[in-house]
Amino acid sequence: MNVMRELKVLLSFFAMLALTTAVAAAEPPSHRAMVQTAIETHIIPHIEALKTAAEALPPAVETVCKSGSDEARHALEKKFADAVTAYAAVDFLRFGPMLEKGRREQISFWPDPRGFVGRQLRMLLLSKDEKLAEPGALAKQSAAVQGLPALELLMRDKDVPLGPTEPAQFHCVMAQAIARNIVRVTSEVVEGWTKPGGWKDKMLNPGPDNDTYKNASEPAVEIVKAFLVGLSLTADLQLKPQVDPKIRLSPPYNKSGLQKQVYAASIASLHQLYNAMQLESYLKPDMAWMKGWSQGTWRTIESVDGAGGRAPHAQRKDTPTSREVFDRMNGLRNIVSNRLSVAAGLTVGFNELDGD
Amino acid sequence: MSLTVIDRRSLLLGTLAFVGAASQGKAFASVGDGDIAYVATARRGMKDYCVLLLRADGSIVREVPLQARGHDIAYHRPSGRAAVFARRPGAFGVAFDINKATPPHVFTPGADRHYYGHGGFSQDGRLLYTSEADIDGERGLIGIYDVGRGYKKIGEHPSYGIGPHEIMLLADGKTIAVGNGGLDTVPDAGRENLNVDTMEPSLAFVDAESGKLVAKHAMTGDLKSLSIRHVTQDRTGLIWFGGQWEGSPSETPQIVGSAGLDHELKLVDAPGGGKDLRGYIGAMAVSNDGRFIAASAPKAGHVLYVDSETGQVVGKSDLKDVCGLSSEGEHDFAASSGFGVIRYETAQARVISEHELQDIAFDNHLRRIA
Repeated sequence: MNVMRELKVLLSFFAMLALTTAVAAAEPPSHRAMVQTAIETHIIPHIEALKTAAEALPPAVETVCKSGSDEARHALEKKFADAVTAYAAVDFLRFGPMLEKGRREQISFWPDPRGFVGRQLRMLLLSKDEKLAEPGALAKQSAAVQGLPALELLMRDKDVPLGPTEPAQFHCVMAQAIARNIVRVTSEVVEGWTKPGGWKDKMLNPGPDNDTYKNASEPAVEIVKAFLVGLSLTADLQLKPQVDPKIRLSPPYNKSGLQKQVYAASIASLHQLYNAMQLESYLKPDMAWMKGWSQGTWRTIESVDGAGGRAPHAQRKDTPTSREVFDRMNGLRNIVSNRLSVAAGLTVGFNELDGD
Repeated sequence: MSLTVIDRRSLLLGTLAFVGAASQGKAFASVGDGDIAYVATARRGMKDYCVLLLRADGSIVREVPLQARGHDIAYHRPSGRAAVFARRPGAFGVAFDINKATPPHVFTPGADRHYYGHGGFSQDGRLLYTSEADIDGERGLIGIYDVGRGYKKIGEHPSYGIGPHEIMLLADGKTIAVGNGGLDTVPDAGRENLNVDTMEPSLAFVDAESGKLVAKHAMTGDLKSLSIRHVTQDRTGLIWFGGQWEGSPSETPQIVGSAGLDHELKLVDAPGGGKDLRGYIGAMAVSNDGRFIAASAPKAGHVLYVDSETGQVVGKSDLKDVCGLSSEGEHDFAASSGFGVIRYETAQARVISEHELQDIAFDNHLRRIA
């Protein structure tokens, strides 16, 4: 299943590369074409991959809870890592179905500097309320206990490991409820995007009667904003704690040792979206230097592992410092928001992007 | 630091001195009658943040550099003092004199605190109030600073909610209105909101001297995700607020409303509802005559105008990325945008004039000086 998921995303990416290469050789895409490419080659393949990865969680949890074997435990850890990395690739798509009903927080309540997940989960475990296993019951609880971080806590609980033991009985009830809830939420996200009249249709059919997008540029701006949000989130939450030692923020899914995988998945997805947007194709010849600068920046960003070390397939000979990567990421954000998007006729407002 | 250690004598004097300040207003007014008409936070180029002192035509008189992005500006007209605050979750304030190009004074909220970008002077100008977070305590605060002692922090009041945003000393000189956004942020986690599904926003009224809660309108039921952020006061004393919807976009309610110490919360029935404003109000302002209310919606690119006498929408203008708002003349408004535009328009949304600054992105707030 996992191989299929990765294959689907990979095929979509190659399809996109072929498409973008062909288009780049000709002329810049229309805003509608840009949106369509982003949706069909990036957004939908990634959210479907997330749903597929999520669907592997309930049976994996069930197997651990029935057998308690190391083999089952490792299998669950693998499925969990797949789901986390699949989520990392869509974390920044904070609009449309992901924004609706707070689904993003329900899937991945992170960052969590106050330890809400642990606090809330402990309360539920103490309650031993079997009704939480009923369909929809968990959805009424705090978002902190509904998703991947809560499942991670249960999986990594050394005092009460998941398995067919008496102490673990309610932990298993909760783990199964959480796994099923993640499937529910990710399925809703996919449906929200793909159903007739869903978000894909909404973005591809702007106009006066569209309650969100009034013209073809607005959905394109939405895509660019999501990309900029992704750069900010990666820079501020994953890299900045390495740059500023005063910041106390645990890396994402650190208990499972997934910090590097999350960074790699975030960056890979952002780079794919960057290519899908084809913003560079709008540049006039005198601004072509930005292409070279951007390529160098991506090489830099992709040469680190997100945990202070070197990435396995780094293209740079040296290993950039976290500071350099952080600055480059912010530089790319500035170039995209102030130059590339402007060249593409897409104006991303300073206040609308990040106001207060 | 807590309320009990506030220098009560300073507070008392601050409140009483308001009467004198009001009568001295005209005498002091000449001090600020130079070319400077507005002050605004802004970004120059791609990454340099500053405070701009502007003429009415939008040209720059002076620029105060900031170490990071600022948010709103508090202004005390009689003395010419101004203070700008770091936006959430920053921890610097910069005070300066509008009339003299003297070095600015930097102040901070202290350990385990951060600002939310807003503040206001007491009417005698001796105290500065700011909206702050007690980070570890997970509660909102109103910080109190003694201006005469180099903006030394002398006390704190509770804001009676999490995430206080704009605070405003009301015309009575003794009550502070607080827009408690309800959202918890921790600087270590950047600008991420940590409690969206459990947020409890409110509009609170706090006694400036004692710190006691005078009244509070909590957002409940269908409005429990309406983060109250910005406030202004009309000539009758009623508070008008602009919210930011943190719930499902498909369920966006009306997001502009009014409430008072003795008035129930009431939402403006804006055509198209809050969804047409993209669920997001970035700033509020009142006309100089106290009658018309303006609410900017930068994500939608609109300014909504409401007649406070009727509660009806009387105008809606279009300006991309508009956010900063201030009064102009008796009945009109100035609006600034992230694309360097400063525009004057009537409450009926008729454009009077427009100026554009190159390489400048106006930030969220704009204050009238002249």
